[in-house]
Amino acid sequence: MVIQSQHAPDHSRSTKYLDRTRMNNALEQAMDFGATYAEIRLMAETTSSVRLKDGQLEHAIPGQEIGATLRILADGAWGVHSTTDISNIPNEIESTVKLARAVAARRPSGSKPIQLAEIPVLQDEIHWRPKKDVRNTDLQTKLDMLQAIHSSANDDERIISVACGWSDEHLHTELLTTEGMDRTWSFQRSMVNGMVTARDGGDPVSYRMRHGGEGGLELIEACDLGGLGEHARISALRLLKAERAPSGKLPLIADRDLTGVYIHEALGHPCEADLVAAGDSCLDGKLGQKIGNDIVTVVDDPTMRGGYGAYPIDDEGLDVREKTLIKNGILTDYLNHRETAHHFGIEPNAGARAQDGLHHPLVRMSNTMIMGGSYTDIDELAEDIQYGVYACGSRGGQVDTGRGSFQFAAQEAYLIENGEITTPLRDVSVSGLTLQILNDVDGLTKDAKLASPGFCGKGQTVPVGDGGPIMRIREALVG
Amino acid sequence: MNMIPDDAIERLLEGCQSIAKQCETQGIQEWEIVASQGYGRSLDIEAGRISLASGGGEGGFGVRVLQDGRYGYAHLVDPSGAEHAVSEALSIAKASPQIEGFSLPNAMDASPVEGMSDEAILNLSAEDLLMQGDDIIAEVASLDKRAVVIGGGVGIGAEASVMLSSEGVEASGITTSHGLGVQVSIEENGQMTSSWESCSSRQLMDGIPSCVPMAVEWAQKTRDPISVETQAVDTAVLMTPQGISSLFSNIIRPSILGERMVRKESYWSEKMNETVLDSHLTLLDNRRMEGGFASSSRDGEGVPTSCHTIVEDGVLRKMIWSTRDAAKNVAEGRIDSAITTGSASRGNHMSPPTTGCGDVQLLSSRKAQSRDELIQTMGEGYIVHSVMGAHTANPTSGDFSVTTSTILRVEDGEIIGALKQAGVSGNLFKAISNNVHLGTQSTSGGVSSTGSNHLSDILFTQGMRINPA
Repeated sequence: MVIQSQHAPDHSRSTKYLDRTRMNNALEQAMDFGATYAEIRLMAETTSSVRLKDGQLEHAIPGQEIGATLRILADGAWGVHSTTDISNIPNEIESTVKLARAVAARRPSGSKPIQLAEIPVLQDEIHWRPKKDVRNTDLQTKLDMLQAIHSSANDDERIISVACGWSDEHLHTELLTTEGMDRTWSFQRSMVNGMVTARDGGDPVSYRMRHGGEGGLELIEACDLGGLGEHARISALRLLKAERAPSGKLPLIADRDLTGVYIHEALGHPCEADLVAAGDSCLDGKLGQKIGNDIVTVVDDPTMRGGYGAYPIDDEGLDVREKTLIKNGILTDYLNHRETAHHFGIEPNAGARAQDGLHHPLVRMSNTMIMGGSYTDIDELAEDIQYGVYACGSRGGQVDTGRGSFQFAAQEAYLIENGEITTPLRDVSVSGLTLQILNDVDGLTKDAKLASPGFCGKGQTVPVGDGGPIMRIREALVG
Repeated sequence: MNMIPDDAIERLLEGCQSIAKQCETQGIQEWEIVASQGYGRSLDIEAGRISLASGGGEGGFGVRVLQDGRYGYAHLVDPSGAEHAVSEALSIAKASPQIEGFSLPNAMDASPVEGMSDEAILNLSAEDLLMQGDDIIAEVASLDKRAVVIGGGVGIGAEASVMLSSEGVEASGITTSHGLGVQVSIEENGQMTSSWESCSSRQLMDGIPSCVPMAVEWAQKTRDPISVETQAVDTAVLMTPQGISSLFSNIIRPSILGERMVRKESYWSEKMNETVLDSHLTLLDNRRMEGGFASSSRDGEGVPTSCHTIVEDGVLRKMIWSTRDAAKNVAEGRIDSAITTGSASRGNHMSPPTTGCGDVQLLSSRKAQSRDELIQTMGEGYIVHSVMGAHTANPTSGDFSVTTSTILRVEDGEIIGALKQAGVSGNLFKAISNNVHLGTQSTSGGVSSTGSNHLSDILFTQGMRINPA
């Protein structure tokens, strides 16, 4: 059922998986059947994950996966076929055209047929080669690095368990289209993570850590792994003595991690043009309008090499670029793909991403950041706060894009009393309404950077980076 | 036309056998190979119309090798790469710690679980599915002309799977599924409310499933929010099955895993035979539920499955284990004895088996109350139908702090209106341990990666805090 052989990979050259002649003939056939556009996108992934539990190897999983998606636009509607059986794609052309036409036949009156914005048609290869190809990293090297995290994280009798993980992936994508696009690109991602659990007679607490990004082994080598483990240990031990957070509307300072999650959830998702077009975004109709404080400028930038959300070409074959979503409080752009760029009459900005070769592209974020402001440090941000919360580290977030409400949770937090950071707090979450809270951002430090790597779910899961400076919000709902 | 090829199982078995042959060639002492191939059709709905239809299939093979009590794993999509994959799994095994007493399970007879596949799903055409999409869109409009399905979709799937091991396990089967989710919104007078509802079954869901009118109902119920004092209050909270399921998945389900118990990572660690739930509550981990999404005749290691009573009348009685986790924790001296409970789970062919829950049911020995009766019992408090951020809950401590936009205020036993947004926080272990009331009808929810829960309305009378925005 699968024709591609998967013997030990040769990393020295770029292997093409799609038979150009056969697949281009298949695409031409789609046009003969009445398609206006068709594409075949293949992704081959070489992956590795390692997990260490309490210093012992729990599992190590090498893997090679391949999948391809045939996407056909006919009569202004999409038909899609995804498969691991690459050789069979030509046999699915006719049925997929029919599927698209069956969808088109149901289009309600007044609803426009799908059209795609024009993009440059290129035939090339782009490979973001890491300094140290992570595929050449042996298991012992990975284990040694995870042991470094474990040893420092475990260095206290109140630590009851430490789990450390390694994951890396080499992603190779090929895209052929009826417009003549023939692009091949590849890049790598590498990450280490861990979770420390502590207990001191009472309830257990846990603290998570992550480090990684786009790149190879050099990313992990550059990390102070012992320091990462130590930070997690100290944080977990601090949580043992932390108090429950106060509830209510309070001034909030968020560290870089939480600022990133905040901007990802509260602004990034409502900016996704497919959600806007579907009527599921509170930012519908607000392009060009002031939706935030003057100090708020937000970018989404897949070109930011090293960020976990970086990629060289989007999954519709468009070269990536920085997108400014908010400039000084004014909504300036939506994240889009070709369909939504045409729908809104805006420039396509390479926001199409698919989870893998078996999924069709959706509008997604990449590396999303609030840009820096004028404050020097957290002390300056905190000095005017009589009673508030300083929240650090992310346990994730979620958004209801239509209602414009969001939630994110901190790993640890502190009370701010009379401008001083005081009592440690645990299980702090923050919620709010996008259109309100963007106006309530009233202080940003100068130094905007990407924070820890993350994952974003929207039916499909993709790696993302987010971050920013340390941020102050005048008032947020803390629980 | 049948969605799944007639020879799907044979093709997978053939692939497994070629990988098995490679294991034997490389002198592997014990091996276990799993294979799956899924086939599906689906459609997306956006902005009140079907926006895309798709089909296809995916699958692959996973091989676990065991050499001198050390195990390694690798996955692949093409059995022609078996030599490399088995070799990698073996080299990993050599680097892994030895687990004394760890052996792959022997072949045992397993009786089938009913309701795991439906021929009607296999025979459903793309056009049939599109017609169901049309019907859903039309039904929403007929229930409320302001209501629009702005997101969601419908899908059917069939999966053929095979397991083959050196210990004589040879099992195969086909399962089917039918699922739908709808995001319904009502936008009028500058106010937008919405509700996401979903349902799924291993059997074909004919007609309009109940989650569709429920989405319209909650989009309606949450309009025109009332004002309440913006001060956090400790209060009674009635969680609907949809409201509690994601928290239940993130907090309760991990707490019954044997390894977490013995490593003291579970809130219920060291509480065996102690009261952990309200005394009328029983918690089942059922791997043999008819049509259950987490049920099957064998677990992820080929062991016959059972229904386990984890908590009986409030008292913790059992934890669950896979073969490997049980052997490992006994060997490490964390527990005197433990054996598999037939609770090994696999996400897919890319994952080695780990201990996981099946279909989890929370039952009460008391007479269940209708939702109206529960509201009367509550007197004053809130009804919460969905939460955001359940994944941020702390599975170790049970603490959570989430947000809801589908929350109704109850006063004097009557619903008086909706809040625009509120925080919901508490500790689920503590809240569920005392003075809890269950509703009448058990509803499944939280299917997929978080597992399959079968819960009813739960009225928490203590341990919950509401923080209105």
